[in-house]
Parts: sequence; structure tokens; C-alpha cells
Amino acid sequence: MTRIEFLDRLCKGLKGLPPATLKEIMADYEAHFKDAAEAGRAESEVAEALGDPDRLARELRAEAGVKSWDEAKTPSNASSAIIGILGLGAIDILILLPLAGGVIGTLIGIFAAAIGAFIGGGVLFAAGPFMGLPGGIAAALLGGFGVMALAATIGAITLALTIWLVNGLVWYARLHYRVLKPALEA
Amino acid sequence: MPETIDIQLKKGVLGLCVLAVLARNESYAYEIASHLSDAIGMGEGTIYPLMRRMQTDGLVATYMVESPAGPSRKYYKLTDAGRAALEAQRDEWRGFASAVDALLEPLPATPAPLEEA
Repeated sequence: MTRIEFLDRLCKGLKGLPPATLKEIMADYEAHFKDAAEAGRAESEVAEALGDPDRLARELRAEAGVKSWDEAKTPSNASSAIIGILGLGAIDILILLPLAGGVIGTLIGIFAAAIGAFIGGGVLFAAGPFMGLPGGIAAALLGGFGVMALAATIGAITLALTIWLVNGLVWYARLHYRVLKPALEA
Repeated sequence: MPETIDIQLKKGVLGLCVLAVLARNESYAYEIASHLSDAIGMGEGTIYPLMRRMQTDGLVATYMVESPAGPSRKYYKLTDAGRAALEAQRDEWRGFASAVDALLEPLPATPAPLEEA
């Protein structure tokens, strides 16, 4: 494999990463080839010593995914971290998928219920005093406010649980990293 | 092809080796890679994902050094967290290695228990 072929395959494997990260990674490997050439090594030998570019790309993607999740706990970063880790084959996808489907469905359901309850509480708080409900104005105000507070609390707890779940998944996958093995065999 | 124990051992201590190399000298990736490839037979490509991971974990930091010929070079150095990790992992490794060494030694000849008459 030549330098161009190696870098080309690596770049293809890294498609979809943030441009700045991609540029940084490619610069690292380009510098490696340059340093190796200065040391008098042949391109093909250097490429072989680096290992399979597709496998390196998978590992780098997983690393980038985890990094962006560390920096900002957004849903899209969570999914890129999980997809990157799945790309490593670190977690058995067949076991994980049904489980993850159930958990994600439940979490979405709780979020939806919390949002619904929050809106319902808001309506009760705003419109209740004019509806002539039994218990009077104060009961409607307090009741509406209470439902909103409860919904917000449940939403916050679910969010914390979701973040904890993704963190746990990342931790588990890192324990099970199998990707260094082929590089060491080379 | 090395045996499995070889692979597993290297995989486990690779991070420790990088920390140790950087504690001696701040260095750039090619130098670290060829150093470790010579010393413990590590695949050179592995160093880059590992360095990125260690950077994410806050164990190493990078800085650029102007080079007289060509573009500037990215150097790695240990952070305080990296130094602490090196110390902890070094002690762990030494304890483990000496325990294994002790097991590999043949049993010391114990004096036969004296028989009471």
C-alpha cells in the first residue's frame, strides 16, 4: 500500500467526523509518513507498520464520538458515541439492540408523559381559577403549580438517568476494547 | 504470531508505557511510536487513537514546536493528572510484576521440620 492509498482509505473511513477533527487526524498520519521518510523508511513498509486503515478509522471514530459526548451531552453526540462504539464491535449488537430499543422507548415515553403533565398543570394553573372548580381558586392555582413541579422533577430525573446510562455504556465499551489486538499482532 | 498472553499484557500496559516515555522526554507521536515499537513491539498505528484517548482523558496535552525545516510539529507532554496516573500505574505494575516473579521462582527449599523425639 502506498502513502496515498493509506491516507485515502483512512479519510474515507473517517467520513462524517467534524471537519476540524478529521483535519487533525489526517495531519497526524501525514506527519508520521513524513517523519518516517526522513528516517529513510520506504512508504509501503511504513503503511504496513501502521496497520489496517479501516480498523484505525473505526477506533478513531469511536474515540471522537466519546470525546464529543464528554464535551456536550446532546442527543446527537450520544448517538454518535454509541454508533462509534458499535463500529468497534465492542458490544454485541444483537444483544444490545432489543434491550436498547426497550430502554430508549421507555425513556421517550416518560419524557412525553412529563411534558404532557407539565402542560396540563399549566392549563390548570392558568384556566382553573375561572372554571369554578370545587375547592376554589387557591386549590386550582396550587394544584396546577404542583403538577407542573412534579412533571419538571420527573423530567429532570429521567434526563439524569439517560446521561448516566450513556456514560455507563461508554465505560463498558472501553473495558471491552478489542481493537488494539490486531495492531499488536502486526 | 505472539501468544495471547503477550497481546493481552501489551494491551494493558501500553498506556503506562506512553506515560513513562513522556515522563522522560516530551516528544512527538512518531518518536513515541517508533520508541515503543522497538521496545515492546507495538503496532505503530495504534499510537494515534491512544494519544487521542489520553488527550480526551486529560492525561496528556499538546503544543506546537516550530521546526526549522517544514511545518511545525505537535509535541505531547504529561499533565498533572498524567503524572498522577503514571505514579499510580507504576506502583500497580511493580507490585503485580514482583508477585508474578515470585510465583515463577521454584519453591525455596524449606528446612525439613524437626521431628520431636
